[in-house]
Amino acid sequence: MTELSSDNVKAVVAEFCDVSAAYFGDIHVLRNLSLVFRSGTVTGIIGPNGAGKSTVLKTFMGALKPRSGDIRLYGKSLAGVPNHVLALMGVAYVPQNRSLFLGLSVEDNLLLGCWPIRHDRVRTRRILDRTLTEFPMLGAARRNLAGSLSGGQRRFLEIARALLLDPKIILLDEPTAMIAPKFAADVYEKISALAAEGLAVVLVDQNIKPCIEVSNYIYVLELGQKTTEGTADFLQSDDKMREEIGRWLEVSGG
Amino acid sequence: MATLVPNIILNAAILGVIYGFLGLSLTIVYGGMRIANLAHGDIVVAGSFITYALTAKFGYSPIAALPVAFTYLSVLGYGLYRIAGKRLQNSREPELASFLFFYGVSLMISASLLFVFDADARAISFQFRPLSFQFLGLRVPHARLVAAGVALALVPVIFWALYQTIYGKALRGAIMNRDALRIVGIDIDRLSLFAFSISFGLAGMTGVLIALVFPAFSPFSGMDYTILGFVVIVLGGLGSPLGALAGGMVFALTEQLTTLYLGQSTGLIAGFLVLVAVIVVRPAGLMGQVEWRA
Repeated sequence: MTELSSDNVKAVVAEFCDVSAAYFGDIHVLRNLSLVFRSGTVTGIIGPNGAGKSTVLKTFMGALKPRSGDIRLYGKSLAGVPNHVLALMGVAYVPQNRSLFLGLSVEDNLLLGCWPIRHDRVRTRRILDRTLTEFPMLGAARRNLAGSLSGGQRRFLEIARALLLDPKIILLDEPTAMIAPKFAADVYEKISALAAEGLAVVLVDQNIKPCIEVSNYIYVLELGQKTTEGTADFLQSDDKMREEIGRWLEVSGG
Repeated sequence: MATLVPNIILNAAILGVIYGFLGLSLTIVYGGMRIANLAHGDIVVAGSFITYALTAKFGYSPIAALPVAFTYLSVLGYGLYRIAGKRLQNSREPELASFLFFYGVSLMISASLLFVFDADARAISFQFRPLSFQFLGLRVPHARLVAAGVALALVPVIFWALYQTIYGKALRGAIMNRDALRIVGIDIDRLSLFAFSISFGLAGMTGVLIALVFPAFSPFSGMDYTILGFVVIVLGGLGSPLGALAGGMVFALTEQLTTLYLGQSTGLIAGFLVLVAVIVVRPAGLMGQVEWRA
């Protein structure tokens, strides 16, 4: 029984099966991409600018339709699933650009995150109270407008909102971009904690060093194709990979 | 002159509430859905004609026209969104596409009104008793008082819906950040359909109020109200419900006071000058918050 449950912890939550996607015509931004996202695992996606890292997440969320291949959630194809239903299916997404309602209060932002279960007022209230206690920073600012929060606080509000409905997988696009270093450290800490709780975390990140440190498994993309994959230890021991990473760091200046 | 000024101010306040009401229904759709409803004023006029038909042909009180106008016109809004709304929103230039589409709708509505009611200006034939009230030395027409009363009773209901219910918060959220709706699992199409129907219904009710306040209306008045509606929401701040009310009030006061001192033809000009001034000083409008929009 113990063995079975430890197997469950690393179960495949979602996968990309040979996915190709394009914005216009034949300019493919993802080419024959196969990725596996497991529970209790932080899966890092790294690569130089324009590698299609964010596009992976956008395609997952249905903003871009795969030209070929299949995206599966719990083994079932997501083809034809309206994108607003994903939240209810346990997929949470924190995009790179702002996804908050800045003119609404912190609490109302969270309330809208409970939209799929809005008819269950008792549960909604319970979830909101739990979240506001779990993130004391948000609890203290619950009546303030989201627009009055600092960059780091906003990011935590986005993450808190993504976690409201107990997702099985959370997609994070550059979660530490443009926020204070202190908050960035907190974000990485939260990411590890989420994976420890059994969540599948998908992390797209320009900050390669911390990304490799926090990730259990890493995919390296270049021009929409997978070039390397493996555990963090494996990538760091690979000389060719270290050289590659050094090259991107020079190019992206980070 | 001594009693004229307070009278004008009182009148402007009544008009202001109704202008604000006009802006409120427009801002729900323009702010949240990015649909420029050029037919908005024609919906308003249709509401006025429904009032005319109910009072002149059937002898009902104009109050009875409120639910009728709301129902008929929200059904029209529902139908129009079902036919075109989704396509307009998904087009590459939603604002331009909706502009053209609703210009067509505007022509169709005014032509239909023309066909049914002829080109003559109409007035509601219903008379409230007494015709007017004396109060603090001011004479207030009963019909205007009823119109202002109805608007003042409905505005808190609308604000309650917009600010206290999750549906209202979602609608205001749509104004601030449409893309984020999808992430939290909101079906934008259904929300838009809902907002569109409500907006048309409210525009119809505005038409009833306008029929009570203005002596006459014709099938051709639609575009005037559309422009007035847009002026009011730009003045107050696009997408701000509170701003729509403030914009309506400011516009009505300017228009009425200028009309009093400088004559009828200058009223509108002054109203637009205030608009220009506000745009220069506060481009986001009186209560707009640019930074809230993503």
